[in-house]
Amino acid sequence: MFKKISTTVLAMMMTASLVLAGCGKSNEPVNKGQNGANDGELAPYEINMVFYGPPQKDLDEIAAEMSKITKEKINATVKLVRIEPAAWAEQSILMLTGNEQVDLIVTGGGDYSRQVAQGQLIALDDLVQKHGQGIVKAFEPEVLGASKVNGQTYAIPTNRDFASHPLVLMRQDMLDKYKLDISSIKTIDDLDAIFKVIHENEPNVNVLGKASAAASIANRLLETRWDILGDYIGVLPNLDELKVVNLYETPEYADMLNTIRRWYLEGYIHKDAATSKETAVDYIKANIGFAVINKGKPGAVGQTENRVDTKLASVDIGSQITSTTSITSIMLGIPTNSKDPDRAMMFLDLLYSDPDLVNLINWGIEGKHYVKVGDSSIDFPPGVDASNSGFNLRQGWMFGNQLLSYTWATDVPNLWEEMDKYNREAKKSAALGFTYNPIPVKTELAAITNVTRQYAMGLETGTIDPEVNLPKFIAALKAAGIDKVIAEKQKQLDEWAKNK
Amino acid sequence: MKAMANGSTLKRAMKYKMLYIMLIPGIVYLLINNYVPMLGMIIAFKDINFAKGILGSDWVGFKNFEYLFKTADAYIITRNTILYNVVFIVVNLVVAVALAILLNEMKNRFMSRFYQSIVLLPHLISSVIIGYLVFSLLSAETGLMNKTILPWLGIDPIMWYNEPGFWPYILTFVKIWSTAGYLCIIYFAAVVGIDQEYYEAATLDGANKFQQILKITIPLITPVIVIMTLMQIGRIFYSDFGLFYQVTLDSGVLLPTTNVIDTYVYRSLLRNGDIGMSSAAGLYQSIVGFIIILISNYAVKKINPDNSLF
Repeated sequence: MFKKISTTVLAMMMTASLVLAGCGKSNEPVNKGQNGANDGELAPYEINMVFYGPPQKDLDEIAAEMSKITKEKINATVKLVRIEPAAWAEQSILMLTGNEQVDLIVTGGGDYSRQVAQGQLIALDDLVQKHGQGIVKAFEPEVLGASKVNGQTYAIPTNRDFASHPLVLMRQDMLDKYKLDISSIKTIDDLDAIFKVIHENEPNVNVLGKASAAASIANRLLETRWDILGDYIGVLPNLDELKVVNLYETPEYADMLNTIRRWYLEGYIHKDAATSKETAVDYIKANIGFAVINKGKPGAVGQTENRVDTKLASVDIGSQITSTTSITSIMLGIPTNSKDPDRAMMFLDLLYSDPDLVNLINWGIEGKHYVKVGDSSIDFPPGVDASNSGFNLRQGWMFGNQLLSYTWATDVPNLWEEMDKYNREAKKSAALGFTYNPIPVKTELAAITNVTRQYAMGLETGTIDPEVNLPKFIAALKAAGIDKVIAEKQKQLDEWAKNK
Repeated sequence: MKAMANGSTLKRAMKYKMLYIMLIPGIVYLLINNYVPMLGMIIAFKDINFAKGILGSDWVGFKNFEYLFKTADAYIITRNTILYNVVFIVVNLVVAVALAILLNEMKNRFMSRFYQSIVLLPHLISSVIIGYLVFSLLSAETGLMNKTILPWLGIDPIMWYNEPGFWPYILTFVKIWSTAGYLCIIYFAAVVGIDQEYYEAATLDGANKFQQILKITIPLITPVIVIMTLMQIGRIFYSDFGLFYQVTLDSGVLLPTTNVIDTYVYRSLLRNGDIGMSSAAGLYQSIVGFIIILISNYAVKKINPDNSLF
C-alpha cells in the first residue's frame, strides 16, 4: 500500500519538476544595453565593479566619492564589489555563471582565456571605438593588442609594469653583520656562498622562502626567463623564436631543480616548504627569514621593504622581458552579464583618463587616507599608518591606468617615468600578442594539471629528489598528453604568426 | 497489494488526508531542492557557452566525461575512492558499535553523557582545522612526532608529507576519529531502546555479558546498522574532500595514495573551471552510487527482507 502511494507521489514529483522547469527558461532577461546607447540623455545607472583584495573599512566611502565624479560625467554611480582573494576563483566563476549584474571584472591569465572561450566576456573593439579614446591614448598599440583572441579584444590590460626580471632580495642588516659582498652575484648558483654563511651563523633562519603561498621557489625564475605562453604547458625558451617546447624537458629546468635541491639539502629552504603557506615576507617580518627570489620591476624593492619593515639589498639576475602573459595577467573586462556595456565602457575609459578617479581607488580620499607631500608624491596623514588606515588597498596595478596616480612617499617620485622606460626597454617575446585557446585540448589539460600538482611543487621547492622524480614527472606528463597540447599550441601560434 | 481496489485506495487517501497535507511542504522542498536541479544534468553533455545560454549551447555527447578515464590516474583514483570508503565504512561500523555498547554499559549517567560529548566533539571540527591539528603532529621541523615521539623511540625523523605509504593509515585514523562518534550516538540510541527484559531473561539463563552482547544487542540493532551502512554505501563513490585535500595539505607527493575522485576533479578543473566537465564528474558519481545502492539493497533483501531500505 505504502509503496503504491509512494510511487504515485514520485511520479507526481517528476511531472511537476518538468513543468516547473518549462516555466523557468522563459524569463531570462534579454534586453541588454537598451539605455545608454543613445547620445542624448543617459538614464541613471549603477556600475558594479568586481575585484579581489583584502577588506577595506572605507570601501563604500570610496565608491561614494567615485560616484560623485561619474555621476557628473556619465550619470552613473559606482558600486565596488570586493572579493576575498582566497575565494576569488570560485566566487568570480559563480558571479559570471549566475545571472548577477557585473559590469566590470578583473580578469587575466588563464581566467581570461577560459572566460573568452565560454563566452562570458563581451568583445570590446566597437565599444572602444565609440567610448574609449582615453584607453587608446594610454597604450602603445602593440600592448593594447596583446589581449586579442581571434582578432577581437575581450579585456583591456591595466597600464602598469608589463615586464619583469628575476630579482633576489636579501636582508641588508644580515649582509652587513657578516660582511657579505653581493656585487659579484650573477646567477642563482652564486647565491650559495651567501646562503652558506647565513645558515651557519643563524641556524634558526629560513634562508630562502617562497615569493607567495602558492608559488614554488622556482616559479618567479621561470616566469621571468621564458615566455610561459599562459600556462607553462609549452613555453618559448628563446624569445626570438616561435618554437614551443616542453619546459619540464629542458636542461635549464633540470639545472634549476638541482640548484634548489642542493639548497634544500643544505637546509636553506624550510623542510615544509612544499605544503607550507608561509612566504619569505612572513619569515622576514617575523625575523626568521633572509632572502626571496621574486619578480622585479621599478619600485619593487621599496614596496617589499614597506611590507617587511627592514632594509633589503637587491640583485637583478638578468634583464626584463615582456610577453603576452605579463601584459594580460591583469585586465578589466565587461561580462555578458552587464546590463549596459556602453556605460561600463565609458566608466572604463575614465579609469584610463581621469586621474582623480584613479587616485581615489588607488589611494583613497585626500586628507583622510593620504596627504600630498610633493607635486605628485603622497604619504599617510598624521596619525594614520598602514595598521589603522581605513583604505590601504595599494592595488593600483588593478584599476585602469596606474601611471596617472600619485606615487607613495617611499617610492621615487618619477616612478612612473621609470616604469614607462622599463616597459619600453624590455625584451619583447616574438609571441607578444598571441593568446592561446586551451579549449581544444581541455581533456588533456585536466589530466596534465593533476600531474603538475603532483610533482611540480615538490620538485621546485627541493623537497623531492629531481634525480628520481623529474624523469617520472616527464613520463607522467607524456602519458597525460602533453605532446598533443604542445602541438596544438604550436599550431595556434603558427596560425597567429601567419595572420599577424 | 494488487487485490486492493482503486476505490479503497482513494478511501484510505481521504482518511489520511491531513497527513498528506502535512506532507506537502516537505515535497515542495524536495522538488525545489533535489528534483528541479536534476535538470542541470544536461550540462554534462554540453559545451557550455555563456553567450548562448545553457539550452543554446552545443551538445557534445560524452566528451566531457573523457578526462575521467583518459589517464593512468583513472584506475588509481577509482581504487583509492572505493577502497578508502570500504575501509571507512567497516572500521567505522566496528568502532561505533563497540563504543555504543561500552557507553550503554556505563552505569554512571553523568560520565556516560560526558563520554558521548567527547566522542562527538571531533565530528564538529572543520576539516581545515583537523588538517592543522594533524600538521602539528606531523610537521617535518616542528611536529610532535618528529620532535618528541620518534627521537624518544630512537627512530629517525620521517618526512610525513613526502611519504605516500603512511597516509592510508593516517587518513583512516583521522576519519574514524572524526566520524565514529557521530555514528556511535545513533547506535547508542538504538541500544538504549532495547527492552531490558531480554537481558534479565538472559542473566537468569546464565548468559555472561559477552554472550548478551553477541546474542541480544547486536541482532536487535542490526536493522539500524543495515540502514546506516546502506546509506554510506550509496555514497561510496564520493569522498570526503576535506579529508583528502585539507588534511594532506594538498601535498602533491602524496597523490598516489591520497588522490580520490573529488580531489582529482577539483585539481583538474582548477585551471579551466569548465562546468560541463565538473557536471560530468558529478553525474558519473551519482550514477555509480545509485547502481551500488540498488545492488546492495537487493543483496540485503535476499538475505533478510525486513532489513532492506525499499
